Amino acid sequence: MIRYRHGIMLLAPLALVLAGFFLLPVVMMLPTSFREYVPGLGLAPGVWTLENYTRIITDDYYREVIWRTLGLGLFVTLACLLLGYPLAYLIARGPERWRVPLILLVVFPMLLNLVVRSFGWIALLANRGLVNNLLTELGLIASPLKLMFNLTGLMIGLTHIYLPFMVLMLVAAIRNVPRDVEAAAATLGSSRAHVFAAVTLPLSAPGILAGSILVFVLTISALVTPRMLGGPTFKVMATLIYDEYMQLLDWPSGSALSFALTFMAIGVIWLSSRLTRNWAGMA
Amino acid sequence: MSSLTFDRLGKSYSGAIVVSDVSMTIKEGEFVSLLGPSGCGKTTILRMVAGLVEPDRGRILIGDEDVTALPPNRRGLGLVFQSYALFPHLTVFENVAFGLRRRKVTGAELDKRVREALALVRLDAFAARYPRQLSGGQQQRVAIARALAPRPRVLLFDEPLSNLDAQLRDEMQIELKRLQRGLGITTLFVTHDQGEALSMSDRVGVMAKGVMQQFATPEDIYHRPATGFVAGFIGKPNRLSGQVVSRNGAGGSVRLGASLILPAAHVDAVEGAMVDVVIRQEAVGLRRGRAESDALAGVVALRSFSGPRVQYVVKLTDDVELVAEAPSSGPDSALAIGSKVLLAIDPLAVFAMTAEAIA
Repeated sequence: MIRYRHGIMLLAPLALVLAGFFLLPVVMMLPTSFREYVPGLGLAPGVWTLENYTRIITDDYYREVIWRTLGLGLFVTLACLLLGYPLAYLIARGPERWRVPLILLVVFPMLLNLVVRSFGWIALLANRGLVNNLLTELGLIASPLKLMFNLTGLMIGLTHIYLPFMVLMLVAAIRNVPRDVEAAAATLGSSRAHVFAAVTLPLSAPGILAGSILVFVLTISALVTPRMLGGPTFKVMATLIYDEYMQLLDWPSGSALSFALTFMAIGVIWLSSRLTRNWAGMA
Repeated sequence: MSSLTFDRLGKSYSGAIVVSDVSMTIKEGEFVSLLGPSGCGKTTILRMVAGLVEPDRGRILIGDEDVTALPPNRRGLGLVFQSYALFPHLTVFENVAFGLRRRKVTGAELDKRVREALALVRLDAFAARYPRQLSGGQQQRVAIARALAPRPRVLLFDEPLSNLDAQLRDEMQIELKRLQRGLGITTLFVTHDQGEALSMSDRVGVMAKGVMQQFATPEDIYHRPATGFVAGFIGKPNRLSGQVVSRNGAGGSVRLGASLILPAAHVDAVEGAMVDVVIRQEAVGLRRGRAESDALAGVVALRSFSGPRVQYVVKLTDDVELVAEAPSSGPDSALAIGSKVLLAIDPLAVFAMTAEAIA
């Protein structure tokens, strides 16, 4: 048993680093988000305002970006789940000798730099990219499909990048589902499909939840891939925040958007854990 | 309720034979145990019956129906696992209702049959709990109720009592036996615990290395073991090496050490052969005293008390050591280390077999 005091000591190094280099800067940003930005001059001295927050809700453009970001997070998470579960199931339950090679295949793309991977997708998805050229050559389409600078492009790119996270979480969860419990359902009259729906799926819910939260949070906060595949015009919250800070130098607005993004993430995590708990009867 | 028949059942895993040509019939309502050390193939047989493992050869029949090719969900069996294998995300009620729902039982009938099954294992009050809120013994009883609720044709147990502590295990043995008697359900019980197998079963199949060694009543298994393996596995055996001195029908006499001659009722080797001699500990009688004419004499070297029984390690001539088990009360029950004792060995509990038959 680890005692309480020892637990604190074991946590201390990481806690200190996080407090000093993460929590403190974040807290320091909080006052900034209530200041007024005067273009060309910086922060207006002595002025405090809620304007930066109200604008996020009232401004059509900001609202659109928020919905787009949430939608993107949701779609990418669902796509990773649908593509990842069968693969994870195969890795967890397939022949032992396939396990290591398959996991290596899943992890392999992560060895490649994010920028390089995103460029790869540009080469594939651009108007005169491989996919469009191939489809045109085959005579399937007359004019190129719009696969970049929109939601489609971001979804494809981000799903590819975050799929490994989902698969690894799901493999661990599926391997934790006891085979005996599945066998018990089968002897009680469950077909294979029903065993999966009534036992395997609910019992792997913790992994589905963990993987989904991970992918969702990573997606809505992703910067590099949305910038490259979305271009300068198709923005999500992360790219918007980046531009507010670096292009417009509007730190108060950028800070307010950052906090909004954080609370959205926390809200979605809270909601999904509650839903999963009700569904799978986990306590 | 149906009989259960195996017809030359066989299974190998990557070349290693796990179950080799096992044939047997379990009669309607009969309680049969498969007994053997781990890796003897008994669990594989059970899983083949349940449809969880596909046999390489042979057939499985429930009643007259050949179920060898049926998937587990269409065999109409109840299976109770060593690990309980309850559904952790469902309440006790829903666990028991699971098999009934698959058979399209609904409404008041479902409720009634779940309550009945829970009443059988005396867990009526726990229907709303989750498995994790129950003790191990209660979980095992839920597993039994869950298997019984759909009224299976055959009930299968895979070491169901191994995870319980000793006292609870004894209680559950009696409870299980009473349940099975009351319902008259054909039962196959797999265990490595001979006490369990002998006390609960109508007949016991002893297995070793995938081969059925003997399939008979507990009394026959204990008193008339068919093979060297059974003799060495059942009871608490002393194993010594010796030599066959004479033969006389099925029995004869064996020599232990240089000069110790013992009559044996079961001699399964030719005269002069080197053999393993199995002597049941509980068949070695001890009484205080000095050597008379042809009685075996020895000295108590070690004493180990275990409640109702005491085990003595007795040193005989020629450094032959025997373990004797005696009641812990009554005359001659408290023999001190160093006591001189006389031994009486029941020849019926002495088995002489070639060494490889036992290994």
